[in-house]
Amino acid sequence: MMFLASDPFVVALFKHSFMGYALITGLMIGFIAPLIGSFVVIRRLSFITDTLSHFSLAGLSIGLFLINILEFTFIGDPIYISMIFSVIGALFIELLRGYYKNYKEISMPIVMSLGTALSVLFISLSGGFNSRIYNYLFGSILTVENDYLLAIGITTVVTILLIVVFYKEMVIISFDEAYARLLGIKVKGFQVVSMVILAVVVSLAITAVGVLLVSSLMIIPVAAAMKVGKSFKNTIFIAIMFSEISIVGGLFISYELPVPSGAAIVLLNVVILMIVGIVRRFILNRRLKKTQLEIQSE
Amino acid sequence: MRVTVSNLTFGYDYRTVLHELSFRLNSGDFLAVVGNNGSGKSTLVKCILGINKIPSGMITVDDIDITEYKKFKNIGYVPQKFDDFNYEFPITVNEILQVSKYSKVTEDEKLEILDKIGILHLQHENINNLSGGQLQRVFIVRSLMNNPKLLILDEPTVGVDFENVTSFYKTVNELNSEGITIILITHNIRESNANFTHVLHLHNGDGVFQEVTRGVDE
Repeated sequence: MMFLASDPFVVALFKHSFMGYALITGLMIGFIAPLIGSFVVIRRLSFITDTLSHFSLAGLSIGLFLINILEFTFIGDPIYISMIFSVIGALFIELLRGYYKNYKEISMPIVMSLGTALSVLFISLSGGFNSRIYNYLFGSILTVENDYLLAIGITTVVTILLIVVFYKEMVIISFDEAYARLLGIKVKGFQVVSMVILAVVVSLAITAVGVLLVSSLMIIPVAAAMKVGKSFKNTIFIAIMFSEISIVGGLFISYELPVPSGAAIVLLNVVILMIVGIVRRFILNRRLKKTQLEIQSE
Repeated sequence: MRVTVSNLTFGYDYRTVLHELSFRLNSGDFLAVVGNNGSGKSTLVKCILGINKIPSGMITVDDIDITEYKKFKNIGYVPQKFDDFNYEFPITVNEILQVSKYSKVTEDEKLEILDKIGILHLQHENINNLSGGQLQRVFIVRSLMNNPKLLILDEPTVGVDFENVTSFYKTVNELNSEGITIILITHNIRESNANFTHVLHLHNGDGVFQEVTRGVDE
């Protein structure tokens, strides 16, 4: 990694195709992750992204087992099995949420445990930990190829189209499911489609930041934006801005310093969250003092 | 909008909440449902809205069985509590109204409704900055966004100050005079200046349905 730093970051983006791919991939994931993440946060399902990423890992490890041990090479990349598993995990969660109506959160640890157990089992059957598994756990945005870029491109377009076309339904279902039912909106159908999209985005985002960090990409920018957003659209816009800053910044840091890109992206997200928290507290305190002074002077 | 409830019986587990309840409302009627806590007022509302599946009896809206009724956007509803609404994420009053609108309501009509309910000045406000009473009025406006033919209000003025309660019932009376059927769930029938045409007293699962020829205060 150190030898690349001989070129400035911007030059490297054009000079080395993998850097360009990494940036385009990052920008697309940085756009749709907080976009989808906002709806997840509103529905108080933040933990679902972690659950799905662990279930995706099961798909990745089963994929590796099928390709490396059983020699099912036609599969190509285990990321496709991961996407299928992520969708199965999402539908399984939705099924369990309906089954445990008053304890909906129970669905998460059940699916997460199943995913983790399957992952451990098939990683072991595939010959144990190796660099590929390490990349899945912690991300490897610098290794993305054409196929992956196409998959993330299609997912980005489909996600944006769905949100633009069904904006009203998505918002009302997220904020007030009961009222959405009253309006005659097919809540279940929308929830299943949203879960499928979420599952696909989670499995694709694993390449950028890894299984263990993927939820942070979807949740932390939204958590920071919630504290400064003035309206729904404004909050989502800010979340996307924060996310894109952390993606570009993270790539820059990992280019200049020998640190993993996934970790750099997530840490930048956390730094932004902390700065927002501190600045907001400072502004609120200053307003409070000003108000107190005004009251005293009266 | 006509509402007919015939021999409705509903219960939770082994407890019967509503027992063979029957009444009929014609378009433009104004029903006040009164009763103590646990008398089944909110349960009745959930049955009319099709949220509670009815095991015995029948409810029709404009002569259509509620289980087959599809046009729920014609029914405005203000719930007793807003527990179902996910707070804390920023969203403005205008944004809530925008996504709740499924009928042809013009911008001017929306502003008129906001003005009637007394929250025109709050339209660009983030709902997380509103008081309980202000929030209550936002949901009242939301219930009016689809030109409802039936308006169900489940204790809508809890937490709203006296001045706004008076103004709110004035608006409800106006809506009723425009032909909207209204079902108002209330603890205290005397605190409102609403022009009820009928009163349903619920007690221990049984209901007494009475017609009111003039205002209940009289």
